[in-house]
Amino acid sequence: MSTLTADRPMTSCPDPPPAAAQVHPTFAGIMRGEWIKLLSLRSTWWALTSTAAVITLVALAAAASLSDMAGDTALTPDNGQMHGAEVIASGFHFGMLTIAVLGALLFTGEYATGMILSTFAAVPTRIPVLAAKALALVVLTAAVTLPSVTLSYLVTMPQLSQHDLVPALDDPRTWRVFGGTLYALTAAALFSLGIGTLLRSTAASITTALTVLLLLPGILSFITLDWVQTIVSYLPLPASSALLTTGAADDTGNYISTQTSLLVMAAYALVPIVAAAVTLHRRDA
Amino acid sequence: MIEAHELTKRYGDTTAVHSLSFTIAPGTVTGFLGPNGAGKSTTMRMIMGLDRPTSGTVTVNGKPYRQHRAPLREVGALLEASAVHPGRSARSHLRTMAATHNIKASRVNEVIEMTGLARVATKRVGGFSLGMGQRLGIAAALLGDPRTLILDEPVNGLDPEGVQWVRQLVGSLAAEGRTVFLSSHLMSEMSRTADQLLVIGRGRIIAAGPVQQVIDSVAGDKVRVRSPHAGELATALTADGATVTSPEAGTLEVSGTTTKRVGEVAFNSGLLLHELCTHRASLEEAYMSLTQDAVEYRTHTTTTSRTEKAENR
Repeated sequence: MSTLTADRPMTSCPDPPPAAAQVHPTFAGIMRGEWIKLLSLRSTWWALTSTAAVITLVALAAAASLSDMAGDTALTPDNGQMHGAEVIASGFHFGMLTIAVLGALLFTGEYATGMILSTFAAVPTRIPVLAAKALALVVLTAAVTLPSVTLSYLVTMPQLSQHDLVPALDDPRTWRVFGGTLYALTAAALFSLGIGTLLRSTAASITTALTVLLLLPGILSFITLDWVQTIVSYLPLPASSALLTTGAADDTGNYISTQTSLLVMAAYALVPIVAAAVTLHRRDA
Repeated sequence: MIEAHELTKRYGDTTAVHSLSFTIAPGTVTGFLGPNGAGKSTTMRMIMGLDRPTSGTVTVNGKPYRQHRAPLREVGALLEASAVHPGRSARSHLRTMAATHNIKASRVNEVIEMTGLARVATKRVGGFSLGMGQRLGIAAALLGDPRTLILDEPVNGLDPEGVQWVRQLVGSLAAEGRTVFLSSHLMSEMSRTADQLLVIGRGRIIAAGPVQQVIDSVAGDKVRVRSPHAGELATALTADGATVTSPEAGTLEVSGTTTKRVGEVAFNSGLLLHELCTHRASLEEAYMSLTQDAVEYRTHTTTTSRTEKAENR
């Protein structure tokens, strides 16, 4: 083919035809494309950094307030049963906030900027893009949660040791809480991705995702009707609390069992994404 | 090769594209003309599998776009200069697209060089001028070395040098046997760039064919005469069977005749002529004449229809 440059009139030069056999979409290629997309945007780095920062800072604050709580037994009757890992994971809600924003933006950012046209022109079957984004999001969530928890563990250690609460690494309950944190954050991220893919608008998606993930339990807590409270216990935040505690304090009746919790959170992660996959194929870009 | 058969797109009550059937042949540059809201972008989006036709089919290189194994090898498209995340650099944008198809990094560099983006390749696209955005869009379209190119308003925002560059580029791409389908509002530009025209208005085809044929079919050549005896000459020419209009005092535009015949009529009537020439209709005039109805329709439509939304998004 001939090569044209902006500066010169056309010059013909022989150009071997590209190896057509190798040039076609593969899932690995689509995955790599999504990685480049994520890592080439500042917003990704902001979301990841702030997730790590809030998780660590809130854990630090929680650890620092242990002394006050210890002196105020009226307010914290469970203090004696509190596990150190729970303190470390207490920044989880805030991590959920930033990771949910990141998840929502994966698709809404493309619709808002028009990038979606380029994306769907390259991968007109569309579903592999959603799958690649979901996978990339899971990896990113893990990549930010693990260092955040490690960092939280380290910075809270001085405070926790004063109360003899440093969670032992050979204690399965420690890993239960840390694993639960990762599981719930991943579910929240995927939930937002699904909502974002369905709603397309950044504002609508973030509002919806954060309302369901974080705000609704607080809003509905004023309604003391039994059936409302039952619904509340299945909302993501209350539902995930079974995963974020050692299990010692969850016999209050408000919380669902660990198994149910795992299933409920998986449903939050998967239902919107499956719905999005079904509609993504049919809708106009 | 692009083939549309009875392609139709409706948004609610509004029909944006109405039963379009056309074939865009390889080895040619085909211009896609039409006023705003005529359905050009909607048609291009349907070709690219981005919007689903309400009815009818459209294929590119023999298959619906979505069914191609390597879509970017088949079709390169510039649909909107803004189909890029502004927070990403030009190079990153091209790399994300290249990665999906396992296109080598060297090809990314190649299209960056070709489109003259080398100096700004690492800059964030948000800071690009309209012209730079267009060049990036064209770079993305060329990335897969496609057999068919679809360019929506490629010269929009380009400087004269850029316009000339696009003209040369599409010409050479067509000369290599590729199919080039481009839309433009700049009629004069289209008459210099395109071999074939497809003119639509209100979602329907108004005219199609080689550029000169389309022009001739709409506005045939006219004879322009200036004479101090314009009134008498007009009477004589009308008597001779020609159609005469007078755009200004002392000047006549005569159709249905030739300069030779006008000269003879004037001589026979003993009328003095100051000027006698053939006035060749331009594409601009042909276009205005062709799309008049469509444009009038749009101007009188007061509600912002979905058609317009489809055109502009």
